[in-house]
Amino acid sequence: MDSLKEDLKKQIIEQLNLEDLTVADIADDALLFNDQGLGLDSIDALELIVLLEKYHGIQLVNPEEGKEAFKSVDTMAAYIRKRKAA
Amino acid sequence: MKVITAYCNLRADRCLVNGEVVAERDPASEDSWFKQIYKKHALAYPKFYKMDVLSQAGYLASELIKKANPGLVDAYADDEIALIFANATSSAETDRRFKQSYEEAGTPSPSLFVYTLPNIVLGEIAIANKWYGENMFAVLPKFAPGFYLDYGQILSSSGSRALLCGWLEVTATGTDVFLFMVEERETGPAFSHDNLLQLSQAREAAAI
Amino acid sequence: MGVSITGIGVVSAIGMSVEENLRSLRESKSGIGPLHYLQGTKASRAGEVKASNDDLRRALGVSTEYVSRTSLLGLQAAREAWGDNKRSGVIRTGLISATSVGGMDRSEVFYKDYLSQNKPDYQLLTTHDSGSTTERIARELGITGYINTLSTACSSGANAIMLGARLILQGTLDRVLVGGTDALSGFTIDGFRSLMIYDEQWCRPFDESRAGLNLGEGAGFLLLEGEKSLELTGNVPVCQVSGWANAADAYHQTASSPDGKGATLAIENAIRRAGIGLGDISYVNAHGTGTKNNDHSESVALKNVFGDHIPPFSSTKAFTGHTLAAAGAIEAVFSVLAIQQNLIYPNLNYQTPIAETGLAPVAQLNTAVPVNAVLSNSFGFGGNNSSLVFTRYE
Repeated sequence: MDSLKEDLKKQIIEQLNLEDLTVADIADDALLFNDQGLGLDSIDALELIVLLEKYHGIQLVNPEEGKEAFKSVDTMAAYIRKRKAA
Repeated sequence: MKVITAYCNLRADRCLVNGEVVAERDPASEDSWFKQIYKKHALAYPKFYKMDVLSQAGYLASELIKKANPGLVDAYADDEIALIFANATSSAETDRRFKQSYEEAGTPSPSLFVYTLPNIVLGEIAIANKWYGENMFAVLPKFAPGFYLDYGQILSSSGSRALLCGWLEVTATGTDVFLFMVEERETGPAFSHDNLLQLSQAREAAAI
Repeated sequence: MGVSITGIGVVSAIGMSVEENLRSLRESKSGIGPLHYLQGTKASRAGEVKASNDDLRRALGVSTEYVSRTSLLGLQAAREAWGDNKRSGVIRTGLISATSVGGMDRSEVFYKDYLSQNKPDYQLLTTHDSGSTTERIARELGITGYINTLSTACSSGANAIMLGARLILQGTLDRVLVGGTDALSGFTIDGFRSLMIYDEQWCRPFDESRAGLNLGEGAGFLLLEGEKSLELTGNVPVCQVSGWANAADAYHQTASSPDGKGATLAIENAIRRAGIGLGDISYVNAHGTGTKNNDHSESVALKNVFGDHIPPFSSTKAFTGHTLAAAGAIEAVFSVLAIQQNLIYPNLNYQTPIAETGLAPVAQLNTAVPVNAVLSNSFGFGGNNSSLVFTRYE
């Protein structure tokens, strides 16, 4: 189990106030912004920016970059690893 | 005449539609009460999880009314159903949580802020159903049938053919939600002061 | 058939009265600047009313400290609109006020003391409820018949006017004081900042470079009277409200739809209700908040309704800031003044049209054309969209 991804799921639930969801409800590759996935929207994208800064010390200033990074828990983890490695 | 064609009472431990119990809270469950109802009735709308409690309550009650009365809304065009809601404490519960997010946690939460208005529940119901009709939210000292009767009359004379009305109090200390549908019918319980008072207090299988 | 307006009152960042607001509008003088009275927020500028709570209480003769700024601003504008009208046993009179923050300004004072355990004053919380602001105004003016508080975000003020007009035509009331009030608070400033739609620069409605709104505060009130009331009071109408409509946008909790569906419905239905043609609208007082999303969506809606013949339009938000639930009421007062004085207000800070829509608002004050009918738009979070039409009283 990838601990970064598990942490991200917990952080998403916490940050987006998805109190009714559990880590088990979110698949690694579930599309976060798709109605068949988590159904997140533009407001949640703002919350994910807050999350990256709060938990991972990463500032995301270009919202376009967020569109790619916030596709799924998989892509978020990859983005964080890339930024940390740079 | 105008008739109350369906109604839902959602309280702290029970949910009734047209006087019949459709869900009872399981105190042993890890799920919140609203999530228990959502699951029990197999609703599929992931946005539900993100809503504040006021919107969750409004969404659930409106979906349950539709479910128990198939065809209820199909008879209308997308701008013919008006929404008239009210409560006493506005969005106080979510206001408190948003305030906590910036005073205590230091980061104002955008997703909480959007729910710090009581009329967002109307927006959520409109979005879920793609309804473009009128919608209004008033803050009143207590449940007042006269408000719905007056406004209902106004809306009926300006193009709305059906009304979905609601009283929604969801606070840390209690849940008192009453949604009802008003339509033009030959028979049935009249859209009247006394019937609204009685149905808002409905316990079980109310005889109407 | 419309409803007569016999009194107007307004307080905003550009003045404490109708006269002061009118002067600022004529002189293109904005009220947006650094905050003096509200402390401790991160906003570099806002449309603050240039008076402390103590100033307001003194001017209004309100002795208690347990009164919110929202109530004080509301009372200031409501008194002006009410004028020297008298209570009456036979004229059924109501008050409909709109607010989105209620007494949040006082609650913030309480909350800070509460968190730091610095002798929090629990009595301050009695001013928190949205309804309490309306009841306070009603009490001060002695209105007891029908009291209602609407809270539908930024369209609240317009909805109060719409409801008042309808209650008169329905025969439920003979006259009704309608309007809205909201005070600045850290709550709303932090909130709009968290949505990344608060511009730290001076807002630029309908400009390609627009980057968000500046919040403002204030109140607007109008006295509406039906025929029976007019006979008994002898008041002379200054204008009429003759069209109104509300529609859901059914798109998103906060964002307006890209196709402007709800706004289009509201505008079309309000003009139809007024019984005039599209070509009869002399001026559109737009919602025009200065956010990317609103101004684009509203431009699309204007094109949907008016096609290639869009009337002169402007947003006055760069004067006052966005006053939330008060906006529809303040702009209703501005609309009445536009008709009374034959004025079309400039859309301050406009330089370049929005690329996708290409619409140019009125950039300079226009005093050269007759203004007989004004469309005023107010679009709120929750997709609650309202439009009003004001027409010359004849």
